[in-house]
Amino acid sequence: MNDQMKKQTTDAAFSVNAYVGESGFADIVTSAIEAFAVCADAPSLENAKAKYLGKTGAITELLKGMAALSPDEKKTRGAEINRVKSSVEGALNARRDALANDALNAKLASEAIDVTLPGRGRGTGGIHPVIKTWQRVEEIFASIGFDVADGPEIEADWYNFTALNNPPNHPARSMQDTFYVDMNGTDGLPLLLRTHTSPMQVRYARMHAADATNSGKPIKVIAPGRTYRVDSDATHSPMFHQVEGLWIDENISFADLKGVYTDFLRRFFETDALQVRFRPSYFPFTEPSAEIDMKFESGPLKGKWLEISGSGQVHPSVVKNFGFDPEKYIGFAFGSGLERLTMLRYGIGDLRLFFEGDLRFLKQFS
Amino acid sequence: MKFPESWLRSFCNPSMTTDELAHALTMAGLEVEDVAPAAPPFTGIVVGEIMTREKHPNADRLSVCTVNVGSHAAAPLQIVCGAPNARVGIKIPCALVGAALPPGADGKPFMIKRAKMRDVESNGMLCSARELGISDAADGLLELAADAPVGEDIREFLKLNDSKFEIKLTPNKADCLSVYGVARELHAITGAPLVPEAKGAVSVTLNDVLPVKVLASDLCGRFAGRVIRGVNAKAPTPAWMRERLEKSGQRSITALVDISNYVMLEVGRPTHVFDLDKVHGALEVRWGRAGETLKLLNGNTVQLDDKVGVIADERAVESLAGIMGGDSTSVSDDTQNVYVEAAFWHPLAIQGRSRRFNFSTDAGHRFERGVDWETIPAHLDRISALILEICGGQAGPIDDQIVNVPARPPVTMRIARAQKVIGVNIAADEMAAIFTRLGLLHTRTPQTFTVTPPSYRFDIEIEEDLIEEIARIYGFDNIPALPPMARAAMRSKPEATNSLHDLRARIAAADYYEVINYSFVDESWERDIVGNGNPIKLLNPIASQMAVMRSSLVPGLLANVRHNASHKADEVRVFELGKVFVRDAGVADGALSVEGVAQPLKLAGLAWGSALPEQWGATKRAVDFFDVKSDIAALLPHGARFDSAAHPLLHPGRGARISVNGAPIGWLGELHPKHLAAFELTHAPIVFELDVSPLLARPLPDFKLVAKTPMVRRDFALVVENSVNSDALLSTLRSAVPAHTREIVIFDVYRGAGLADGQKSVAIRVLMQDTERTLTETEIEQACQTMLAAAKAAHGAALRV
Repeated sequence: MNDQMKKQTTDAAFSVNAYVGESGFADIVTSAIEAFAVCADAPSLENAKAKYLGKTGAITELLKGMAALSPDEKKTRGAEINRVKSSVEGALNARRDALANDALNAKLASEAIDVTLPGRGRGTGGIHPVIKTWQRVEEIFASIGFDVADGPEIEADWYNFTALNNPPNHPARSMQDTFYVDMNGTDGLPLLLRTHTSPMQVRYARMHAADATNSGKPIKVIAPGRTYRVDSDATHSPMFHQVEGLWIDENISFADLKGVYTDFLRRFFETDALQVRFRPSYFPFTEPSAEIDMKFESGPLKGKWLEISGSGQVHPSVVKNFGFDPEKYIGFAFGSGLERLTMLRYGIGDLRLFFEGDLRFLKQFS
Repeated sequence: MKFPESWLRSFCNPSMTTDELAHALTMAGLEVEDVAPAAPPFTGIVVGEIMTREKHPNADRLSVCTVNVGSHAAAPLQIVCGAPNARVGIKIPCALVGAALPPGADGKPFMIKRAKMRDVESNGMLCSARELGISDAADGLLELAADAPVGEDIREFLKLNDSKFEIKLTPNKADCLSVYGVARELHAITGAPLVPEAKGAVSVTLNDVLPVKVLASDLCGRFAGRVIRGVNAKAPTPAWMRERLEKSGQRSITALVDISNYVMLEVGRPTHVFDLDKVHGALEVRWGRAGETLKLLNGNTVQLDDKVGVIADERAVESLAGIMGGDSTSVSDDTQNVYVEAAFWHPLAIQGRSRRFNFSTDAGHRFERGVDWETIPAHLDRISALILEICGGQAGPIDDQIVNVPARPPVTMRIARAQKVIGVNIAADEMAAIFTRLGLLHTRTPQTFTVTPPSYRFDIEIEEDLIEEIARIYGFDNIPALPPMARAAMRSKPEATNSLHDLRARIAAADYYEVINYSFVDESWERDIVGNGNPIKLLNPIASQMAVMRSSLVPGLLANVRHNASHKADEVRVFELGKVFVRDAGVADGALSVEGVAQPLKLAGLAWGSALPEQWGATKRAVDFFDVKSDIAALLPHGARFDSAAHPLLHPGRGARISVNGAPIGWLGELHPKHLAAFELTHAPIVFELDVSPLLARPLPDFKLVAKTPMVRRDFALVVENSVNSDALLSTLRSAVPAHTREIVIFDVYRGAGLADGQKSVAIRVLMQDTERTLTETEIEQACQTMLAAAKAAHGAALRV
């Protein structure tokens, strides 16, 4: 306590005594409130308290003076003194609380941190954008009941070509330049890196047909995965990803293909502002076959037709290779490039970025 | 295939703009890849004739010409010209004053003004083909035909208001590999009338026949030819033919070659013209024989065998059947007598052959897809008539042998089936109209159509082929996009299985970025880094660094570090989920397997550089084994063990094999320092590779009641030899008092002052509890003593005091 404060406290105490008896008790209360208010900490407040409530304090003195009074006066005056006492005590407690509060606030203020500093520890990594697309495609098709399948990437000629109605030497084989490996399959033909995910149509459908519990159930499956072709430039990679889709049932038509794929693209790009067109084409394993083109109605790619997928009604010979009766079962298949979908989705111009493992690229998708 | 629009319209001319025409073809399956104007825009250029030519008085290289431009000027124009071929009498393109030449690089047309060149007035400009933008050749003035009408606009005269179409044809559209074929299709699409093919009228004035024996009916189904004598091989190709060839992307060569090419483009008929005088004796058509060779027109010499068809004479093989002619009997400027051949080669006898020899030809491309056999004589007449017209000569009769042409069995299409497959109830009458427009002869019942395919169609064998034709001409755009109808069955992801995406999300959450690396790698990676001396090799890799299939994902991740380190990254954490490929005689053909190859899915990851990104709140230190061990702990199945083990990729003292129930499922460790140099690294990353399949099981939680009795904690430090591994120590302690031990944790490992060399102190916290009651002090003390005794017995452990 500094000298100035001591002096004030002392003055207040004296002035209280000066009023006793003549000016009523209200002044004691007022002076006590004032005296407490100037106390800046707990010890000075205890000192000030002593001036009123201590053994020689003003109120104690008043009580001492009661002995000389008549019972009636004692009664009246006693009640008044008690009122004063409790008012002073109230003021004291309020001041104590305020001081404690101030002290806490001061302590907390001194503990303040810079909340703008970055959090401690490691960041979170991220999923590759093509895989993000893969996952989104799975989720969209799962929402209408498609299963997901995957299988070998080193594949037998029969599954990659012949079962898909594309026998050796067929001109359609030149549509897909094939990597071969130094091993032969059980048919004596060299094994190859699958040129598309379409062999999974055959593998999945045959597994489905072989399982008696599936009898009468439709085939609804997508098969995303890695595929390979002898090709390399800004728009072709020797390795890329496709997603194959297959829906076979008793009555799945080309019109259904149009419906499903159009709906898929609108969900994938999260806009109805895109047009989809189906253009006659040729694939050995579908007939009728269609190239699917899409066109955005807004955004940077607005107005351009972009090839997005090959598709068609599954060829009856292929349905037969599935182990199904093509008279009874029909349906569609499609194959889309996941890189292509990803590039259009995020506006990526160069296919090679996907395979460089450059963190500056990958971090943009986390 | 390329061709000028005007040529197509000469056969079928629907009232459509160029763009509409291109769109109509595209939407019928003949994808128009490009439409380019035949010439860039220009105006004011007409046919001129040089009347006089004088040397320029002030310039050696210039000449001063007067040029007749007909009605465009009252008198011949004086024009200064620098071209060396400027001479009196030739007709050339003349740009008049005011003409706008094709735009230059700045996009602005070049305007012709009256000018003085070295003091001589010039009133226009004589032009080369390059200046008109129709050719890159800058060989002087473009000399026009002698009969070019003076004064005619050059765009009209050269038919430059035309477009060049480029169509990408699918392998089934063999019938459209000609302008006439496309016209036939255009007729079907639009209904615009189709002009009949040009007929060649040939008067036969010779009796000569070149004897031909067809010895292989599985190679050649029909063979026809004719002798033409007395041709002028030096005759120029007429301008109209040159123009069409050039706009079709074919360079004009000699008249005989051009005529053959022209007929191929016009009607899709490949033919071959032999120099008759170089043919020795009769021809035979047969399979090749091992040991035979043939020098081709393109100069290549090919080795033949019995898989390749040939045409041979009495001395040698003269032609690769259906693909390319031979060098020795090819026509030249001196050729006088020719034999013109047109044949039907079975597609199966041609397919794949030119690819075997590593080249492709227009003829082979057509024959392997199928060429009409019925029109052979008509087309032979067409080419003969053109030869006679252009080169002169006398024609012999057509010698035509039909050996074995394909059957064309009728194909039946059920109307209801077509409607079901397409998903639209197209009316039967409309189907009939479509077949008629396509030229498909058919009979009809209330339920079916039966079509006899024409000989030019090689893609109509089954019902679906007809359904496709209906859908295509009906228009895919006119087929509705139906919302799919299916039974609403609920589906759920199995809770006890992680999906691959779950795995990815977990490892990504530990700050790893996913990468996708090529499945084929440099052979040295496999041999020197992974230790696989016998990787699966590609037979046709595109580059040596992509020559073998990888058996580990890790080298690719190391290359990712190199790449990012070169871009100043000081922290790299990446992972990849992908298949690896290993020869494995134990793998049989199966539903999802290919004999001899194991193709398991792996998850590999790598951490390199600082353990945490550089930050204010943490001290910088390098990532180590234990950081990554904790990162992958969340992925591993319950009970996974880490045991010290050697691995070719790893530091011998800092690598672990990870196993579950004794079966190895992967490994983790610090890269062996010997591999750093190959990836230009100065310090070692921590790498791991795990089999994915064991990571996919996620057992349902096995709930146990939470005990209400108090948990007791005891800490003690055990001194053991350094060689005692902590897993074994914990295991001993745990099994010593199994009933009450809830948790045993190592919270410190200390080596140094106060301990002997080769010793370490392991600080251990034990939590004990009985689920039924509170443990007594005595019980706790006894349990501790039991544990200590067990540790002492098994590991020589002493309580540190």
